[in-house]
Amino acid sequence: MSDETTGKKDVILHDHNHDGVDRRGFLRCMAWAGAGAVYVMQGGILKSFAMGASPRHGSGVPAGELSFVQISDSHMGFNKAANGDVVGTLKTAVDKINALPLAPEFILHTGDISHLSKPEEFDTVDQILRGARPKDVFYVPGEHDVLGDDGKQYLDRYGRSTNGSGWYSFDKKGVHFIGLVNVMNLKPGGLGSLGHEQLEWLEHDVKHRKASTPIVVFAHIPLWSVYPEWGWGTEDSAQALSYLRKFGSVTVLNGHIHQIMQKVEGNVTFHTAASTAFPQPQPGKAGSPGPMVVPAGELRGLLGITDVNFVQGHHALAVVDSSLD
Amino acid sequence: MNERIQKVGRVAATALAVSLVIGIPGSPRAQDEASKPPAAEVKIDNFTFGPASLTVAPGTTVTWTNRDDIPHTVVADDKTFKSKPLDTDDTYSHTFDKPGTYRYFCSIHPHMTGTVVVQ
Repeated sequence: MSDETTGKKDVILHDHNHDGVDRRGFLRCMAWAGAGAVYVMQGGILKSFAMGASPRHGSGVPAGELSFVQISDSHMGFNKAANGDVVGTLKTAVDKINALPLAPEFILHTGDISHLSKPEEFDTVDQILRGARPKDVFYVPGEHDVLGDDGKQYLDRYGRSTNGSGWYSFDKKGVHFIGLVNVMNLKPGGLGSLGHEQLEWLEHDVKHRKASTPIVVFAHIPLWSVYPEWGWGTEDSAQALSYLRKFGSVTVLNGHIHQIMQKVEGNVTFHTAASTAFPQPQPGKAGSPGPMVVPAGELRGLLGITDVNFVQGHHALAVVDSSLD
Repeated sequence: MNERIQKVGRVAATALAVSLVIGIPGSPRAQDEASKPPAAEVKIDNFTFGPASLTVAPGTTVTWTNRDDIPHTVVADDKTFKSKPLDTDDTYSHTFDKPGTYRYFCSIHPHMTGTVVVQ
């Protein structure tokens, strides 16, 4: 089964797990929210929900065993018409994170931290994120973070204890997180790429883990074919996902396309987060995937954060994002 | 091989080109046309190299200008020439001395490809 939806469009995701969770309603909510999400891990299942519908507000969403937040594509240094204040919108994202009733334990940043890989751009993001309540931030690079030096600066800043060009894994409360790099050594005419060395590492990393271990994979470029005409996909993602087939719950979190999109394939849920900097057009709906200029009053509704909860005993993933409005 | 990258606006680029031409001391106007090194341009708009295929004579200097709000690069498939990241209105030039077909792409957005044919 394969359904997908975009953040602002009609919802076509169904209750494929037959657990009574109305994801149609949920995704309408998501479309309304616009961007950003909280995730809670409960019983090996990743749930995400809107900021305003947190467990402490009696929404019926159980309190999670693990909560974290994803932000993406802060593009520090960008100063064109689509957003002249990427500092301000990132600060608003931090304010949103700090206002969450259920404090996330850490932040995932899925790349394009900077716009041009300039030291001062990374410095500014670091400084702003120090204002967030969660102190741990886990990164993967976007193509804008590895410009000109094949990612040396990125690795020096964020990837000292990682493998290869910056991939790594870690465990939090029984959940196995895998950060992948698919923005290096790109081939002419090609898409995002993981490469042989990283795929071998991934196979080895998950080989001896129990199938009941919840898996969260995060990378910059989508690990599914969103729109290859704009380069929105990863050429060897199928190989990576084949190593994850045995796991009951796999959640893939990406950025890069500056809009919310979700797709479910079997036990794998794919989700892309909004940017904190500027929106990009829906696939094929513009001449190029470049920054989309929207009326000033609409910008923050198209930016956001993603909040995730894992909840024990539930067999469905729900992802809700929150805009910066 | 002759490469240069300049952070210049389109107007400034034009002014520079003009100043180069008129700055040749003692060149009679009639000889200007004949002695002017061959040049060609490729514009980057909407994540596309335009023209995607360019045919030039040997010795031609091709200049790429990024007119997008997103940085791009110009990188030969075989890496024999390679620009730095070009921000908006940045330019990159490369002189093609030998006949041949030179394929290139944007290493940031690899679905962007182009060709320079030198003959």
